[in-house]
Amino acid sequence: MVGIAKHSAYVPRLRMSRTEIARAWGRASSDEGEVAVAKYDEDAFTLAVEAALTCIESMPQPPGALLFASTSAPYFEKQLSAFVATVCDLPRKTLCCDFGGSARAGLQALVAADAMIKSGRVDSCLVAAGDSRPALPESEGEGVLGDAAAAFVVARDQVVAELVGSASVSEEFTYFWRTAASPFVSGYLGKFSQTHGYVRDMAEAINALLAEAGLKPKDIAKLACHAPEPRAAVDLARKLGLDPKEQLGPLVTSAIGSAGTAECLLALGAVLDEAEPGQWILAAAFGEGADAILLRTTALVAEGRAGNPWKHWLDAKQHLPSYQKYLKYRGMFRDNEGGEVITNVLEHKELAQNVRLHGSRCKSCGMVQYPMAQVCISCRMAGNTEEVRLSRAGTIFTYTMDYLIPNVEHPLPMAVVDLEGGGRLYLQVTDFAEGEVDVGRPVTLTFRRLHEGGGNYNYFWKARPVR
Amino acid sequence: MRDKVAVIGVGCTQFGDLFEKSYEELICDAAFEAYADAKIDPKDIQAAYLGTYLPGPGGGKSATSLGDALRLYDRPISRVENYCATGTDAFRNACLAVASGTYDIVLVVGAEKLKDRPGRGLPRFGHPLLAKGNSAPGLFALAANRYMHTFKIGRDVLAKVAVKNHYNGARNPRAHLRMEITEEKVLRAPIIAWPFGLFDCCPTTDGAAAAIVCRADWAKRFRDDFVLVKGVGLAVTAGRPYFDPTFDYLGFRSTQQAARQAYEMAGIAPRDVDFAEVHDCFTWTELSNMEDLGFCAKGEAGYWVKEGRTWLSGDLPINPSGGLKSFGHPIGASGVRMIYECVMQLQGRCGERQVKNAEIGLAHNVGGPGAVSCVVILGLPS
Repeated sequence: MVGIAKHSAYVPRLRMSRTEIARAWGRASSDEGEVAVAKYDEDAFTLAVEAALTCIESMPQPPGALLFASTSAPYFEKQLSAFVATVCDLPRKTLCCDFGGSARAGLQALVAADAMIKSGRVDSCLVAAGDSRPALPESEGEGVLGDAAAAFVVARDQVVAELVGSASVSEEFTYFWRTAASPFVSGYLGKFSQTHGYVRDMAEAINALLAEAGLKPKDIAKLACHAPEPRAAVDLARKLGLDPKEQLGPLVTSAIGSAGTAECLLALGAVLDEAEPGQWILAAAFGEGADAILLRTTALVAEGRAGNPWKHWLDAKQHLPSYQKYLKYRGMFRDNEGGEVITNVLEHKELAQNVRLHGSRCKSCGMVQYPMAQVCISCRMAGNTEEVRLSRAGTIFTYTMDYLIPNVEHPLPMAVVDLEGGGRLYLQVTDFAEGEVDVGRPVTLTFRRLHEGGGNYNYFWKARPVR
Repeated sequence: MRDKVAVIGVGCTQFGDLFEKSYEELICDAAFEAYADAKIDPKDIQAAYLGTYLPGPGGGKSATSLGDALRLYDRPISRVENYCATGTDAFRNACLAVASGTYDIVLVVGAEKLKDRPGRGLPRFGHPLLAKGNSAPGLFALAANRYMHTFKIGRDVLAKVAVKNHYNGARNPRAHLRMEITEEKVLRAPIIAWPFGLFDCCPTTDGAAAAIVCRADWAKRFRDDFVLVKGVGLAVTAGRPYFDPTFDYLGFRSTQQAARQAYEMAGIAPRDVDFAEVHDCFTWTELSNMEDLGFCAKGEAGYWVKEGRTWLSGDLPINPSGGLKSFGHPIGASGVRMIYECVMQLQGRCGERQVKNAEIGLAHNVGGPGAVSCVVILGLPS
């Protein structure tokens, strides 16, 4: 049996309300909704890393393949699946591929993972999808697009939902797009795109799947779908003969905004959170056609969630105080500190330390130190250390809130963190609320975009208070 | 080395925002004042040490900045750079050179021109990723917060250090910030790096200081009131203490070890010190220094400050010059400036800020933060 073994979600903590966006542009809005906003140190890659790390840390064995999906990857050229795999400390032999092009690329990566395993090439595969899609200020998309990531492990063992089948429909249809020359996503939002694009293609793929499996609409427990415009998902459910109230899973767009490649996977995760063993579940995503998969939950379904369930991410939020802050976090003004160039020589030499988060453990006294060193800082024994991956969990030993150092915003908290199992790091603290940075506070390490230098992005670990 | 080396002349420029002065002019002003003070001819200088963190714009990472400024050529000159302990370490090296018998008369100059540079004077060196986001106040604040958390003291205690040092600095004509401040003003100032507000931090300063040392048995040829070098100490510990899991952040081992070396060489105990110029780059650092130098037990410095024991009128005046806090902190110059202050105090030349009956003075730098520390003990001939 091949299917989903683990799944995780990551939604950035920050939210921007649609009423605040409307107010900034002098419009009235009765829409109480909000969108999830990546912090200035996050992008589609780091969001996916967060979700991927959560999944991988719950797996007994590393996956044989890692597939990364995004339409808003921070690089046009650079394979980010390989970078995600390195941050997750996966072996060099891991098969890595990037998926993109449209929001359905996340689900397509899941379909590809299933095929890779069934082909016998690998036994397990991690799919990580992340998106942080920029909308033009004052455009319709501004209150629609939200930032988030999801990761799924597809495997032969410990399957919580078997992948029973998949169907695909493909034909050019212009709904959402971003040209290579534009930093912003455009869209023909509205009725026509919904009926003649989204509902038509999604229904065609799903109906083909149901027909192949010999299932009736009433057999389906839940439909988890990508739905950039929530109303279209309700229309889709009706067209399929499903009861939107009972059979339509949580709509991610309504909760945090349309999350691109991660959206369908987040919706599927939310459905699996509540699913019972033996249920039929559909997942589908749109983009110049549609893909759909059919799953059947197993007795293990309650054990699939790695990290926090979908409901947690809806509650664990912090509202951006102003639209100006939102624009700043979106990188609409030049604001980052000028960063140093990191040559590929330095990157290569320190990759294990800086990206894989490896430290040195003294084989004589057990002291773990970071950065890596040849001589033990405790017993001074030389040449007797071994390389170890450090834990991401730690506690703040001491800290400061710095208002002096150049940064996007102040204060910038800096903390000395003692990690579980050893190792002391000195890091920037991110995703904090007032009062959350203090001596003794538990933190988790998170991989973030630190600064830009030489026309490149530099990523490194930061700490975030556990919440 | 005890009593083998004497200080026979000192010089110090005005400290401050010296926008009209060049790096070379500062060196000249300090050195020629020291020559005049010692009543020697520049040609009598056999060797020299330059303590500087950032050489002048015309000089590279060498000692040529000193040679070119003074036209002091064809002699050995070494540049010493050891974080904020640069000045005292340059002095220490000069003393060792004389004590070894290699040279009879040696010049030490500490100089820094921070105001000519962007980024508040201090360019960031270091790793592009590791410890990114650190600032000088932020690094010392890590220790201050742990210390304050452990010993349950508040920002008001730190503020008292600033009030005292500004009081002393206001009485020092060459100090950078010559004004008295109130505790309320310190506490209400903008935060720089919690728990440090603006007045918990030393300023960014331009300045230079100089000292001339010679073999002690020659000192009488130059002046009767020469000052003897009693002991020196230097210790280097983890350069990145924030990655050291064994570091308790309650004080600096480098200071404790440098002080131990200096006391041992001088054959004295901390209680024998009559006054001290300690490295108060931030208010908390002065508290920690007092403990690390052995003047009081760990966690007790706050009580000393509250009881006024470190004021000019107290039983152990700390930073009678005004300290880095008020006098200013041109990195490489500070240590030599402390030597200048100690010598002037021991010679009774400090006017309003004079410490009474001072026979032994101590100068201390710490940098890194906490990675490098240098201690110099000076005294009158017994």
